Amino acid sequence: MAVDYDPAIIGRVFETTDPLPVTPEMVKNFCSAIGESNPIHIDAEAAKKGPYGGITAPPSFAVTFRNGQHFFQHVPRYGKQGFDAGKDVEFVGPIRPGDAISLSSHVKEIYEKTGRTGSMVFVIVRSTLTNQKGEVVAHVDHRFMSRT
Amino acid sequence: MAENKSDLTFENVKIGDPLGPNEFHLSKDQVRAYAKTTGMWVPRFTDDEAARKEGLPGMITPGNMSLAILSKLVTDWIGASGAQLTRMGTTYRQPVMPDHTITLQGFVTDKNENNRTAEMDIWLENEDGERLVIGTATVHFPR
Repeated sequence: MAVDYDPAIIGRVFETTDPLPVTPEMVKNFCSAIGESNPIHIDAEAAKKGPYGGITAPPSFAVTFRNGQHFFQHVPRYGKQGFDAGKDVEFVGPIRPGDAISLSSHVKEIYEKTGRTGSMVFVIVRSTLTNQKGEVVAHVDHRFMSRT
Repeated sequence: MAENKSDLTFENVKIGDPLGPNEFHLSKDQVRAYAKTTGMWVPRFTDDEAARKEGLPGMITPGNMSLAILSKLVTDWIGASGAQLTRMGTTYRQPVMPDHTITLQGFVTDKNENNRTAEMDIWLENEDGERLVIGTATVHFPR
């Protein structure tokens, strides 16, 4: 079965977000919400002696960034309701308080799958996170699933 | 989880080594705190009544929060060893309901001598042993 979409959208960056400043408070609140107690994420003095010489956000902080304001203007929508089916993340480098992170996103893949509960369409959107120095810090593949 | 794992090295990791189990009560307030700080303050993550109106059994945990607590299972295992979580993949199979006891666990499935990486399966399960979120992770051990 083939899903109907314009093949030209695959791989084309549809949006690059304005850099979002990461404040110390954002990292602190994130750590608190997930129960993170590793000193390299919460204690400035201890983090100085750690591998990055200062506080870094836990790796999973990378998935908290929005990949744009205009998602469905660029990403085809199938069926009535969509779900976040999961994420695949490559952690490339640390995110630190004081960084400003922007995301460039493109549709990586669209495919259909038939399971016990019927037919589903998966849209994979890849966002690349870049800091203010132009360094890539993470790639996040977001699997968006719709029942058709 | 209080065990000090700072002596973890690539050489002493074995296929089958366990991560966790780490069992804890996931409270509604913890989920709300996550939703608030990550800009996901929407009814299905914050309010039982409103979530039911959307056809859910009650407020649910954001998938990204499940990803975050599963990644913490791996980084807690890494501890202060200097190894790094370099990749993680997750599948959100069923909603994770707060105000339940959840268990995080996993085990090492493979080692790659050339890359000095270890692969692991990780998952989040409920009291009935149902694996609500499953995933895999790669940990790199720099020389």
